[in-house]
Amino acid sequence: MTVTSEPVLSVNDLTVAFGAGPGAIKAVEQVSLQVAPGDIYAVVGESGCGKSTLAYSMLDVIPPPGRVTSGDVQVRGRALGSMSRSELNQLRSAEVSMVFQAAMNSFNPVTTIGRQVEDLLEAHNRVFDSAASGRAYFDELLGMVRLPTERIWRSYEHQLSGGMKQRVAIAVALLLHPSILILDEPTTALDVLNQRLVLDVLRNLHASLGLSVVFVTHDLAVVAELASRVAVMYAGRLVESGTVDEIFTDERRHPYVAALISAIPSVLAEGLQVRPIAGQVPNLAELPAGCRFAPRCPLARAICREAEPPLVADRTGHAVACHVVNEKLVEGTVQ
Amino acid sequence: MSLVEVDNVSHWYPTTAGDRPVLDQVNLSLEHDDILAVVGESGCGKTTLGRMVVGEDAPAQGRIRFDDRDVAGLRGKDFKAYRRAVQVVHQDPYASLNPGLTIEDTLGPAIVHHGLVRRRELQGELIRILAEVGLDATRAFLRRYPHQLSGGQRQRVAIARAMSLRPRLVVADEPTSMLDVSMRLAILDLLLSFREQRQLAYLFISHDFGVVRYFSQAGRIVVMFYGVLVEEGPAEQVIQHPRHPYTYLLLQAIPVPDPGLARRRRRAAIEEHTEGAPAAVGCIFQNRCPFVEPQCRSSRPPLTELTDGHRSACFFPDRVPDVDHLLGAY
Repeated sequence: MTVTSEPVLSVNDLTVAFGAGPGAIKAVEQVSLQVAPGDIYAVVGESGCGKSTLAYSMLDVIPPPGRVTSGDVQVRGRALGSMSRSELNQLRSAEVSMVFQAAMNSFNPVTTIGRQVEDLLEAHNRVFDSAASGRAYFDELLGMVRLPTERIWRSYEHQLSGGMKQRVAIAVALLLHPSILILDEPTTALDVLNQRLVLDVLRNLHASLGLSVVFVTHDLAVVAELASRVAVMYAGRLVESGTVDEIFTDERRHPYVAALISAIPSVLAEGLQVRPIAGQVPNLAELPAGCRFAPRCPLARAICREAEPPLVADRTGHAVACHVVNEKLVEGTVQ
Repeated sequence: MSLVEVDNVSHWYPTTAGDRPVLDQVNLSLEHDDILAVVGESGCGKTTLGRMVVGEDAPAQGRIRFDDRDVAGLRGKDFKAYRRAVQVVHQDPYASLNPGLTIEDTLGPAIVHHGLVRRRELQGELIRILAEVGLDATRAFLRRYPHQLSGGQRQRVAIARAMSLRPRLVVADEPTSMLDVSMRLAILDLLLSFREQRQLAYLFISHDFGVVRYFSQAGRIVVMFYGVLVEEGPAEQVIQHPRHPYTYLLLQAIPVPDPGLARRRRRAAIEEHTEGAPAAVGCIFQNRCPFVEPQCRSSRPPLTELTDGHRSACFFPDRVPDVDHLLGAY
């Protein structure tokens, strides 16, 4: 699928570093991706691959000492780095909203959910004609995330289950009519039934509110269930991006992605069909020369230990950063 | 004689709204060298059951027997031997390790307390154990603190702590749910490798049938709903031919790493049944059940044997579709 419409959000050759000088660690390195209107874009990777940092950069809320050292993030063509503080505040309230990881723990435990929503409405009192219409819209959102309105207004966070809190957090994030919703690990720490519920709720919200969604996860099964497009990160770099079908079914794919898929102890798989990935994710302070996945890669050759592979896209835009896989691609276009 | 017998155990937790039942007349047994997986959603009582088997909690009613002896009656030397023989691996390796203790101080004291090695042999033993769980077997590693380790490494330390006492039963409570997918298999394989080397039984607690299927292999599965055991049987049998609607719903809810199949299942999905309170009268699952009948509202179905070792607490077990139906043969 080629992106014909203007992306609502684009990450352009972004590098985010923690620390300075030769000891700096690049949590995100030269990452580019485009989120088209209506996409459900998944960013996948293991702990420490830079996926959360990438998500934070989309709201310009990278925790210090992290900072963007090159490239930028643009929302509807405007670079976040060039915005003033008030423009950024406007962006974060009205255009891009984020549900943080473990959002279920992000409520104030000593006051009701209702009180916290009132505070939010007061702080953004220009969004709604009246406080009553703001409250009514939150009720509507609670209905969409399948929660009982009255009970939630009265509840303290400890009175709700993890799955309910996650859905309240999603409703709160949508209160100010953002057009882009970013979620960091929206289903982690939930049991399967609550996972299913959150996935269904997100799919319905996406359709009924016309949202563009970006979510970060380590769980490829969740990606297969929810995403339309996928970017896979490994040790700070993008190793593959494409549509969800390309990622899961295209024969041309990154060996890391193939290994990750076959490492899932899925209920579909008999015991013998799954196998773990050998080795460990490299320490970002001591990266191997060449391809970062080479030390764990079953296909690795001499060149993989010398040169970092470029991300090469085929005609449909499916991009893979692998020397071995791209060798067969004759008509490729280098990004 | 079974290694563990849970004999008609019921338990309640007090709340401001009255006592809340967490286990309701649970019966099960675990043989030597066997694997029993307990599956159910958050709050179904599976962790409470695990706590009782390791002796961290005593049931309000009923008995837990280990080696044919009531755990509640164990004192002194017997209690100490039981606590050594039954070990636990918790869900969250970020919470289960004391952040102020080095790996050496995390692992060492219990080994000495139980007199497994002499004090001057301790460091050698610890290094041997580190190697056994696939960690860096060096003195330097023993001096590290948990915050210097990754999630997978911490869980290996937690496993080392359990295995260092040479237990006969390990209660593993969601041991992989906090870990990256790529680490899960390695941790499961590590646990299984101990079972091959020693006579060791596992009580494996999880909400994830994928992980359970990989781990249980020739073992058994019990499925719990709000403290009630609703299905029990050989692992493959329960997963491929579930005979309780709750098991079916759990299987259906699992995300699958296959986008085509995910779309087909979405279209074919029966109405959601993820909410609905447990019923006090009649079948506990009636408020969520897609196959509910008047009979289910009035009387509680007993756990009944259907085929060899496969039991279900449902009046209409034959209405529950097989797993190949649910996995997309449309």
